[in-house]
Amino acid sequence: MTIFFGTLLSFTRMQLGPIQKVQVEIDTKKKILGAVMDISSLNPDEILSLYSKKMTSVVLDISGNEISPVGGESIIAEEVNIQKNYKINKDYRKYPVFMFSEDGTSVDYYIFPMFGNGLWDWISGFVALDKDLNKIVGVAFDHKAETPGLGARISSDEIQDRYKGKEIFNTNGDLISIKMLKKENNPSLSIHEVDGMSGATITANGLNDMMKNYLDCYLPFILKNKNLDETLISYNE
Amino acid sequence: MDLINLIIKSAFMDNMVFAYFLGMCSFLAVSKKVSTANGLGLAVIFVLTCTAPLNWLIQQKILNEGALSWIGPQFATVDLSFLQLLMFIAVIASFVQLVEMVIEKFSPALYGSLGIFLPLIAVNCAILGGSLFMVQRDFNLQEATAFGFGSGLGFYLAIVALAAIREKLKYSHVPDGLKGLGITMLLTGLMGLAFKTFIGMTL
Amino acid sequence: MSEVKEKEVLKVKKSEALLSKRRKNILIDPLDDNNPVTIQVLGICSALAVTIKLEPTIVMSLSVVFVMIFSSLLTSLVRDYIPVRVRIIVQLAIIASLVTLVSEFLKAFNYEMFKVLGAFVGLIITNCIILGRLEAYAMGNKPYDSILDAMGSSVGYAWIILAVAFFRELLGSGSVLGYKVFEMIGWETFPTNGLFVDSIGAFIILGLIIWVQRSRNGYVEN
Repeated sequence: MTIFFGTLLSFTRMQLGPIQKVQVEIDTKKKILGAVMDISSLNPDEILSLYSKKMTSVVLDISGNEISPVGGESIIAEEVNIQKNYKINKDYRKYPVFMFSEDGTSVDYYIFPMFGNGLWDWISGFVALDKDLNKIVGVAFDHKAETPGLGARISSDEIQDRYKGKEIFNTNGDLISIKMLKKENNPSLSIHEVDGMSGATITANGLNDMMKNYLDCYLPFILKNKNLDETLISYNE
Repeated sequence: MDLINLIIKSAFMDNMVFAYFLGMCSFLAVSKKVSTANGLGLAVIFVLTCTAPLNWLIQQKILNEGALSWIGPQFATVDLSFLQLLMFIAVIASFVQLVEMVIEKFSPALYGSLGIFLPLIAVNCAILGGSLFMVQRDFNLQEATAFGFGSGLGFYLAIVALAAIREKLKYSHVPDGLKGLGITMLLTGLMGLAFKTFIGMTL
Repeated sequence: MSEVKEKEVLKVKKSEALLSKRRKNILIDPLDDNNPVTIQVLGICSALAVTIKLEPTIVMSLSVVFVMIFSSLLTSLVRDYIPVRVRIIVQLAIIASLVTLVSEFLKAFNYEMFKVLGAFVGLIITNCIILGRLEAYAMGNKPYDSILDAMGSSVGYAWIILAVAFFRELLGSGSVLGYKVFEMIGWETFPTNGLFVDSIGAFIILGLIIWVQRSRNGYVEN
């Protein structure tokens, strides 16, 4: 009987395995594309083809250099587990960066994955920067167990839209990231601040820390590419 | 320090009983006394603390994709993760069987007082739940053990407290429809609320 | 002469109707009078954590119905060949394999729900109702009857958790199956109560459902 079930299950896994892998792939790519554009009207096939046509990626180390392939196999950026990497000391992590290009010659948007802690459990996100590597084009946040109506708002369009157009560098060229303030409807917001979520200060702080920490880690890469007129596509897909 | 925080978190905020309502089945249906809750709780702590790391090893060394490469490089692409549920439940059932035999040998009195609970632990949702959560949250070995211990501890506190209240309830006037299961549900809800006060506590 | 006639009469046994009264009771009792959750006190374990929204609860219920029916069927078919000492292990193996099947299919065809349900798909294995019914019924009864019993018990379980999920989603998020119903009828500022999204709300709703059901039935726990 064990043999019967073992065979049945192995058979199922063999048949369904490839389909399952595709599901995971679609899921990851949806998240990355979602930071840059509204993909709610696209079906999975469209997402996959759009992604493969316009997105390239690279995996960096803490100094902003591409990590060379190990043993002949280059690291696939989409498969880097941000959560697992978060647990490693930041000097030894793998940092994937995604680059979106409309026409295929130069990069239009850069997308940076990040990970952190909210109130109850982890939070994560993708920050998409414009080609000037300063202005935010969009963000996509996710969380494990934040309180609905409070911290969980970070995954809503309402909160994520607040980041559009904000800048992460100040006029002196220092990276100061974006700060979410404590209250909603603040009278005036600088180009580096967004309104907060009332009752969800701890989540907001976690968000701020996550952005600052990871942007600092991506800084070498950002500086390298910031002063070029345009970044030409030079990384292998 | 992180491990201690993990223990606190899994015992209080992520309490198996109050946050996920696991492990109550057999307890609710069979016992209203603190003494039996005590024995069951201690047994659960022991089984959880041991099966979590055990299943972690199995997950890492046998089940994960590429995990079997320690046998030989030709096995590096084998992915046995679909056997996870079967293997985990087999490990848990065997471990409980082992514990049962050991207790019967060395302390027949304890064996007698635990009675039917011992085999019931094998199908206790909290034990399997502990292993499954551990895999889902990507722990390393120490974290898995700490998590197992913390979850067991939380479970123990929860059911002993609940049994104590249920004992006292015998002297209260509970409406007929609520007697037994109904009032226990409401109780569990209120106690869960109390446990949430530990949120954000770190050492 | 009459002796032969008697023997002939005895040999002709009427086969039971597919839905005879006895069988109807097997199917219908667990829905209300003998509900596995509210009366027999089984199977609540893994259910409460997934009832935050209606959609995952529907997926969970369908999975439980599937696993229950097929494990009852399989157990009943092999019941005469299982040695007594290993019967729990055999039952567990059957259930675990079926749950693995469900899990694999979910991962392949409804990844969103698989992510939401997570570890709770696996916890169907330890759902006391399934093991309980296998042990109490399928081990000693014919396949068709076992299927009826499985259907009754699993649907009895399903409608309870669907009811809990309906109220939790309605009061906790103001929506049903993702549709913001209160906004739709113009009551835009419906105060959603965060308590119901938490497990605490689930306990309270379940407690109230049990109270209503038991008062109607007149069942009083000792």
